[in-house]
Amino acid sequence: MNTTLRISLISLLAVSIFSCTEDTPAPVEPLEAILVEDLAAPNDVIDRTTGQVTEAKPFQFFSLEENTLVGENEDWDLAFKGTTIRVNSSKNVTAAVVTGIFDEISEVPASASFATDSGESFAIPTGSGNGWYNYNSATFTVTPIPGRVILVKTSDGNYSKIEILSYYKGNPPAAELNPMTTPSAHYTFRYILQPNGTTTF
Amino acid sequence: MRGTLLRKIFKPMFRINLIKLFTLISFFLTLPVLALVDTPKQIIAEDGKPIPHAIIQVGGAGPVLVDKEGKVTANLPEGESILIFALGYDSLQISREDWLAKEIFILKEKSGSLQEVVVAATRTDRTVEDLPLPVTVLNEKAIQETGGIRLSEILQEQTGLQISGDHGAGLQMQGLDSDYILILLDGEPLIGRTAGTFDLDRISVSNIERIEILRGPSSAIYGSEAMAGVVNIITKSTEEETRLDLGLRHRSFNSWNPYADLGFSKGKWSTKLFYDYMSTEGYDLTPEIAGQTQNPYQAQTFQLKINGKIHSKWDVSLFGRGYLENSTGELETSASSGSELLNLDNTRRDFNFNPTLRFTPNSKILMTLRSMSSWFSTVADTRFSADGGIFDFQDFNQLYHRTELQTDFQVKQNQLLTVGLGHLVETVEATRYEGKNRFDAGYLFLQHQWDPGKKTNIISGLRADFHSQYGNRFSPKISGQYRPTKNFSWQASVGAGFKAPDFRQLLLNFNNAAAGYYVFGSTLAQEGVEKLQNEGLIARILLDPSTLGALKAESSWALNTGFRWKVNPNLLWVGNAYRNHINDLIETAPIAQLVTGQNTFSYFNIAQVVTQGIETDLSFQATNNLQLSLGYAFLDTQDADVLDQIEAGELFKRDDQNRTTRVVRSDYGGLFNRSRHSGNIKINYQDQWSGVDFALRAIYRGKFGFADLNGNLILDDESEYAPGWISVNLTASKTLKNGIFLEAGGTNLFNTQTQFQPANPGRVLFAGVKIPFANLIQTK
Repeated sequence: MNTTLRISLISLLAVSIFSCTEDTPAPVEPLEAILVEDLAAPNDVIDRTTGQVTEAKPFQFFSLEENTLVGENEDWDLAFKGTTIRVNSSKNVTAAVVTGIFDEISEVPASASFATDSGESFAIPTGSGNGWYNYNSATFTVTPIPGRVILVKTSDGNYSKIEILSYYKGNPPAAELNPMTTPSAHYTFRYILQPNGTTTF
Repeated sequence: MRGTLLRKIFKPMFRINLIKLFTLISFFLTLPVLALVDTPKQIIAEDGKPIPHAIIQVGGAGPVLVDKEGKVTANLPEGESILIFALGYDSLQISREDWLAKEIFILKEKSGSLQEVVVAATRTDRTVEDLPLPVTVLNEKAIQETGGIRLSEILQEQTGLQISGDHGAGLQMQGLDSDYILILLDGEPLIGRTAGTFDLDRISVSNIERIEILRGPSSAIYGSEAMAGVVNIITKSTEEETRLDLGLRHRSFNSWNPYADLGFSKGKWSTKLFYDYMSTEGYDLTPEIAGQTQNPYQAQTFQLKINGKIHSKWDVSLFGRGYLENSTGELETSASSGSELLNLDNTRRDFNFNPTLRFTPNSKILMTLRSMSSWFSTVADTRFSADGGIFDFQDFNQLYHRTELQTDFQVKQNQLLTVGLGHLVETVEATRYEGKNRFDAGYLFLQHQWDPGKKTNIISGLRADFHSQYGNRFSPKISGQYRPTKNFSWQASVGAGFKAPDFRQLLLNFNNAAAGYYVFGSTLAQEGVEKLQNEGLIARILLDPSTLGALKAESSWALNTGFRWKVNPNLLWVGNAYRNHINDLIETAPIAQLVTGQNTFSYFNIAQVVTQGIETDLSFQATNNLQLSLGYAFLDTQDADVLDQIEAGELFKRDDQNRTTRVVRSDYGGLFNRSRHSGNIKINYQDQWSGVDFALRAIYRGKFGFADLNGNLILDDESEYAPGWISVNLTASKTLKNGIFLEAGGTNLFNTQTQFQPANPGRVLFAGVKIPFANLIQTK
């Protein structure tokens, strides 16, 4: 896995600096979005004719709090494999998929129904059109649904909003994307984490 | 010989001019016995060819029919005023004196396309100008001047029609896809669709006499599939004693098309044999990718048509057709282990057998008993080219049988009632369907053609379909025409259309092993989900299949209204506006979630679509040898659910800089693969000196959406459109004195081609010759 994660902890740093000066009310500093590029999460290799898995691939466990890939036993929030995104139910991570413009979502809407993964269902539904992506059968491409924002309550109990931007390596513009040659299962997404436990972003 | 003629004459009488010709009908069964004369008179057309179906009438006496050579040897009944007429020609009124003085009488062909006979619209023969419906007829000349070899090439030059290359050359009419257009061959439905598309390249045009294009729903007489319209292909019949035409056409991509057209007619019987062979190397629009855009193929068409009269009141016809096609090609598959080359070997076969029996007990009744049996099969054999191992093998077998009794009854002089009763059985067996599946259906249709006054005519119809799978359907339609003056008429019709769920939607049992999802046809959904449940593969049921009920037919309501205006003798203007409201469109939706996170899908009646537009044609006879025509079509389509989502602010789009914005109404471009604007300009010129006919056409197809690129699956961004294009086509043809026909030309002369139009190969040049051997021998 040759993924490079750009660590941009600016917002986290900023928050921790201001939290030191407890006597002055914390000025409202806009939270900055963190961009995660090309998180590779290859799907299982499947024999096309039989449907049998010939090579199982692991989930890639990601911590929103730390903005990095972590081990399965650590405090991960989301796990990626193929188009499937799991949430860490053992750490009470919950998620909701809402419709709206990422930048305009300034608060966790009251209507958002948070759920965690169970044996029967995923908090972030799978399948084209259900959760975060559309599968375009005309162009054979998986594209994130514009206007779908994933809200996650992390293992630390903080709220975060996530927008997935691309499923293909290098986040190519749609017009340059060739599903036959561009490697897939490379997530590019941005997110904002509200580290103070409130529901506003 | 008289038998065939009678049938030919009798048929028109029933319908074209119900009022005018009725008086003749009552006489025609009791033809007066007339003394023979020595010098026969002959009725010919302007081009010198005899008119074998001309009729001569004197005063109120019975009609006299000419023979095959347009000759009449009988003495005419008493009377001063003599009328000579024939379908498609201007009548000639002469005095007895003139009749006796001359031996040859020339009838002028009626000018304009309004005189063409149409069968498809009412299942009785009527001329275009009598029909309260938008119809276009392409005659042999119009077909010839396109230089086309396959039907798709003819139709794509017509206003408002598009050809799209999705599982074959599919027609698009009134903004609706091939799935919703019924294709008839000599009035009988053709079967064999792949993913809903009827591939028009299966139809060779060498023996087509005319093509009738009827727009708007006609489910009131045809039932399923006739939602956008009907295309009826009429093959040639034999009139001459012997015909032996041999032809050869050659064109780009090393395509060869030899054909033979053989006909005899003797006494009461006529037989016609046709053979057509087509071979092409195909073409490739994307040479950087393995495999061609169109693979090389060889196709053969055999056709046999026998007409005969077995009794004065009974006639019979037999029609048989066979089509064989084989194509080969290669394809590259990209698997995780690297790409591998595959060899494709595809076969398509299609057989039709269609006997018809006609009974005319008296002058007011015509009964037609038809039966139609068809077999359509495809085999797709895909193998690894390295070791010949099977990559994929699929076959598809469809049998279709229909028996129908149609009765036309002349209620009054101005009313014709048609009652039809039919039964059909259909079976299908295919790799992706389990077992052998059978459907049964019965139907009944009624049609009333009525001329309440001299200026109006009304056609009303109702059809009831009773189907073993999707239940009962009633499809009404009413259309009317008002003709305030001789040169102007206005038409309007309201009708229902429907399309039965297809095999896929009912029967599919498909597991995409690679992606890990399942698709079940609606009849298998419950069983399929239960099976997966028992195997422990289902995580959650999203929709309980047992509560879904049967899949309904897709249905529509449509309004068509238009006009035909003969502005002056040289200028004809026709137009039609339409709106189709289609409900219960069938789409896939998930019914259960699998433990893997993938879904199981089935088919549902969910979508609603509107298509509306205007189509207009202007044709102008500038001089004797120069004709100009202009066609324009405007098309607007909408998916009602998408509109609702836009209204609710629930649809978004994302640009290259990853900025997300709401989709607004003005962004929405409607359905994919629909051109908002399209049109054509045609110039026909006959060079007096050389006798060469030139047909120059420019066909424009405006920009259209080809695919979603910004993730919301709808057409809402400029980058999602394929550019418009113009194809300039030229055909030069000449018929020599001895009947030999020569042609040469090219389509898409400026070689405009894009990857968005896989059915457009770029520039094609062609040349061809047709030799009428029988003519040559006779003239010697």
